[in-house]
Parts: sequence; structure tokens; C-alpha cells
Amino acid sequence: MRGLLVLSVLLGAVLGKEDFSGHQVLRLSTADAAQVEKVKELEDLEHLQLDFWRGPAQPGSPIDVRVPFRSIQAVKIFLEAHGIGYTTMIEDVQALLDEEQEQMFAFQARARSSDTFNYATYHTLEEIYGFMDMLVAEHPQLVSKLQIGNSYEGRPIYVLKFSTGGENRPAIWIDTGIHSREWVTQASGVWFAKKITQDYGQDSTLTAILDSMDILLEIVTNPDGFAFTHSKNRMWRKTRSLTAGSSCVGVDPNRNWDAGFGMAGASSNPCSETYHGKFANSEVEVKSIVDFVKNHGNIKAFISIHSYSQLLLYPYGYKAEAAPDRDELDQLAKSAVTALASLYGTKFKYGSIIKAIYQASGSTIDWTYSQGIKYSFTFELRDTGRYGFLLPASQIVPTAQETWLALRTIMEHTLQHPY
Amino acid sequence: MPPRRQPPPASGPWGPRPAVLLLAPLLLLTQQGVAAAPVGAEGPEDSPGLQDAEFPSGLLQQAARAALHFFNFRAGSPSALRVLAAVLEGRATVNPKKGCQVDLVFTTDHYNPEVGEEHLGKCSARVFFRNQKPRPAINVTCTRLIEKNKRQEEDYLLYKHMKQLKTPLDVTSIPDSHGHIDPSLRPIWDLAFLGSSYVMWEKTTQFLHYYMAQISSVNQWKTNDDTIDFDYTVLLHEFSTQEIIPCRIHLGWYPGKPLKVKYHCQELQTPEEASGTEEGSAVAPTELNNF
Repeated sequence: MRGLLVLSVLLGAVLGKEDFSGHQVLRLSTADAAQVEKVKELEDLEHLQLDFWRGPAQPGSPIDVRVPFRSIQAVKIFLEAHGIGYTTMIEDVQALLDEEQEQMFAFQARARSSDTFNYATYHTLEEIYGFMDMLVAEHPQLVSKLQIGNSYEGRPIYVLKFSTGGENRPAIWIDTGIHSREWVTQASGVWFAKKITQDYGQDSTLTAILDSMDILLEIVTNPDGFAFTHSKNRMWRKTRSLTAGSSCVGVDPNRNWDAGFGMAGASSNPCSETYHGKFANSEVEVKSIVDFVKNHGNIKAFISIHSYSQLLLYPYGYKAEAAPDRDELDQLAKSAVTALASLYGTKFKYGSIIKAIYQASGSTIDWTYSQGIKYSFTFELRDTGRYGFLLPASQIVPTAQETWLALRTIMEHTLQHPY
Repeated sequence: MPPRRQPPPASGPWGPRPAVLLLAPLLLLTQQGVAAAPVGAEGPEDSPGLQDAEFPSGLLQQAARAALHFFNFRAGSPSALRVLAAVLEGRATVNPKKGCQVDLVFTTDHYNPEVGEEHLGKCSARVFFRNQKPRPAINVTCTRLIEKNKRQEEDYLLYKHMKQLKTPLDVTSIPDSHGHIDPSLRPIWDLAFLGSSYVMWEKTTQFLHYYMAQISSVNQWKTNDDTIDFDYTVLLHEFSTQEIIPCRIHLGWYPGKPLKVKYHCQELQTPEEASGTEEGSAVAPTELNNF
């Protein structure tokens, strides 16, 4: 009760920028009707600027009143003169307000460093972007932040680049969150970023990788969708672009790539979750990556991360024909899922997209593969349907840890098999 | 009429379906393997002559899921729900005019994983998918995992627990955005899943399958002395379309009694049609086939 009253005062303070230093809140106890009348007289004295939180009513009912500093003396003398008992509920209103403000902000505190950041919970876009800046600030020699474009709604699209030097070294690309509702993926991306900074110089495999190659990590590949999952619809998958001639919003960014675009395995209905868009790369979120990849010219592995289903997939999705590197990709996938399962026993199946999950056209890794990026993989992380997209936060870190082992396997293979 | 009208074949999820099924009146598909990868995802190449695009990948998985939804619904027991562990073997016969029959054997796990307990059950099923029509015909038998009495005991405990919940239930989504379900609300989730099993069974075809994603609202929760009256809206996640389908479900349940379910699902907005709806209702049969 008191908290509510104080809160409303706080709001008043915030809005009216009032200062309540030295104000006290007194609780008056009236013995009879005559005393109640006396308090009512006090109420009428406007120059005292009294603020009754609980006004005079029956004798015996407590009366709560906020008294400005300069009126305290006068009020107390009045009360004592008329034998009206009182206690001091709040000694200094401003001090209490200050304390509450501090508590409120502490509750939503930004982590001060990537060491105090909570990896075992889901975060907002602002928190993830804040995390990126912290990581760059803490490891300026290793990590930098690149802006590769702006989303449909104007949000910046960032990629973290992990590099120990060199000029346009061969690189490994990892993206998470292309489908915004797949929250465990963005959360894992954040964990991967931290992991890389921890393991460089500690883990021999990762160190060897980073000594010759760069790692590019796009954590929130679909920022508009992600913001929407927080504000309006937790189950939102697509981008948030408007489609002329339709009341439905969004394009499936994993059907918008220029590989079998528009063929069987995507929908031409703007209201569908697998709507491919009006033309390939119509979505700026996709185009930004396409431009980046083409300009970079030296990406050797491309890994796009989704949830759920527990699968590791390689091309093709749009056609049944086996990819030329099928055997090698299949072997590598097998090693990767074996490494993944070694941690918690989580079982992943693997295979080409079309065989292991379903036919999908215009998908990311079909395009990257067509660009000559041989090690193109898509992950579908935990689980297999019990919680689906709403994976409990307690599973974020275990998921990220096991997935990291698979990523490491793929990255190491890429390093050892230059092409 | 199928629940979802796709525009002309070119953009259907499986490509040109009718032509494909005509190619192979009889197909033998045996799958042997370990829990990890039963469906052509690892190991040697597929059976010769079997084109990947001809057969929806994971037809056996599809059949297993449908069989399990039906099994769970029929058993009517929220404390004894099962999920698919792995398909052990299976065989499919296709009749291009009628549909597709799948005979299979699969293992199951407890829906609610109890710490330390390994309760792998085994089921055999015959599933008949009618061409592009939902409501596959199912014959399924499973090894008994819990004594019937114990199961009823657990159900009764659940029922008592549910009776103690304060009404009206002060809850919006279960789980919340972060995947959290308050332990006291866990029985509600299980009961909702039981009702959803009926819906998911009816809607499953050889091309579409479902998972229960979230209870998006609880419209009514009444615990009388002889039934729990539960009216809720659930979001079903549909594969391979990725659609989220809201279904309003009204169920009546009491331990040991057959489950009563009525439902009404919203359909996808198509560019031409107004949104259609799909309805169904059932009472579970009283005889149970598991032994």
C-alpha cells in the first residue's frame, strides 16, 4: 500500500519534477469527532500545502498526510495543541523516492561487463546490441562490429568480426536469429561471441582457426522480427516488410535467396509463413548478407542457425539431386553431430535439407553453396517439439555449449581443408 | 476437402504430388537402425529406385506421430502421455487412388521426463493416410508402461491438484515467452496437450504434422465433482508450412472416463478466400486396447 502511494508520488515527481526533500508523512490518530473536525480545518489551510494520502473520516481511522518541510513545525504544534496523536511514517519523502528509483533501475540493470551478462536468460534487442558493444570494448584487438545494412524498419544490422589480423583472410560465417521466434539461436549467438573471446589463446583448435581465419558472427539477423517477438507476437517468424496489395506482413527470409527462388518449397501467398517475397533478395536483411558475402569474396564456411528439430543440414533444399560435395558434407555432418552429442547426449539427425526435413526453395545455404562456399550448413537446434520455440531459458547454455562443439568441428575441418 | 487449399501444384510443399504417387503402386521401405537416425539421414544410400522427392521424407515419422496422438487421446490420461523416441522399422504401401498405408514399430518415451527413469515403451501401429485428407485411420497397440491402477492413481492426484487451483486462473500464456511453466500450472499444460492430441491426430496427413506450441489463453476452467471443464486456445505449429494455427478447444475430463473434446481451428488467410474454419468433436472410445 505504502509502495503504491509512494510510486504515485514518484510519478508526480518525475512528471512535475518536484522535490520532496524534508517532506514528512505523518499518521494522525483521532480520538473523537471533534478531533476529526480539527483535522478537517487543517485541510482547509491551503498555504500549508498539505497532501492527504488518507483523508479524515471516522474517529479511530488513521489519517495519513504528507507535510512539506516548511509546514512541519506549524502542523506539529497544531496537532499537539489539540491533543491529536501522530507518528512519523516517512522521515524524508525524497530520500525514500531516491532509494526506490535506484532499486527500480537496479532491477533492469545493464550488465556492466560481458562477465556479468546473464547468458542463461533471453534478452531484448537493446540488451544484445549493448552486449556487442561491451564485448568490442573489452577485446578491441580481437573483436570489431561491422554494420552491414539497415533492416526494413531502419534498425542497424550488425556483424561481429573476430580477427587476429591479416588482409581479408578466409572467413567462417555464422548467423543466428534469421527467424525471429527461434530465440534459443540469438541467445546461443551471444554465448558463442563470448566463448570465442574466452577460448582464443586457451583452446588450441580455436586459436589455430583464428590465427589464419576470421570468424564473422551475425547474432540478430532479423532485428525487426526479433523486436516484434518481444513487443507483439512471440511466434513471429518472418521479416516485417509490407507487401503491396496485401494486408499481410513479412517475407520468410529463408525462402528469399536466389537459389531455386519461387520454386516448389515456398509459398507465393503473402500471408503464409513461407512466403518467398516478390523477388529474390527483396528483403534488405537478406540483400545485406548477399552484398557482404560477394564483396568479401573469401568466405569458406557458412553456417545458418535455426531452431527447432535437432538437425544438421547441407544443400540442397530445393531439389533432390545430391550436391557434388555430398559425401564430404555428409561425413563432416556426422562428425559434427557426434561431437555435439558427446556433451549431453543430445541426438541430432543429419542430411540434405530436402531429405532430412522438407523441400524448401530459396533457402540460405543453397545460395551460399552456389556461390562456391563448400561448407554450407544449417542447424536446427533444440528441441524436437516438446517446447519448440519456447525452449526454457535453462536450456540456453547447454544448447549453446553442445552446438559450439559441432561448430568447432566444422571450423576445424574448414581450416584443414583449404580450397 | 483438405483444410488448406494450396495454390496450383507448383508451390505446394512437396511439388507435383498426384503424378508422383502414380509411379509406384507398391513400395517397400524398410528402416533399420539405432535411435539416432532412422529416416534415411545417415549411412548407406536409400533403397534403389526410391527418389527423394517421391516420398515425403520421414513418412514413417509422420505415421508414428499420428499413431501417438491417437494413442494419447484414446488413453485419456494426462499423467501417462507419450512422445516418440524412435522408429525401429516400417513399411509403406501406396494406393494412388486411396492413399497410403504404413505399418510400423516405434519406441516411446514419457512426455514428462522423470529424473532417472528410463521408460521406453514400444508400439506397433497401422496408419492409413487417406489421399490429402486428414484424420488418418489408426490401429495402435503399445506395451504397458504403468499399471492401469497406478495410472488412475496418478490421474486422480492430478485431478485433485487441479481442483485446488484458484479460479479464475490468473494466467495468460503457458508457457510464457521464456518457456517457463509454473510448476503449479503443469497439470494444465498436460491436460491441454491431451485435448490437443485429438486435434493433432485429426489434422495430421502424410504431408502435415503438428506440435503444440503454447496455450495462448484459458477461457474457462471449471472443476466440478465429476468433470474438469476446460476451454482454452492453443497454438499449434504446423510442419512443413511453419504456420501457427490457433485452435479453440473445449474438453471435459475425469480420471478413468473417456475424454470429450470439441474444437475449432482458424485457418490461414489466403489471398482469395476469407479465412475458413475447421471443426471437430469426439468422445474417446471406452475400450482401451493396450495390454
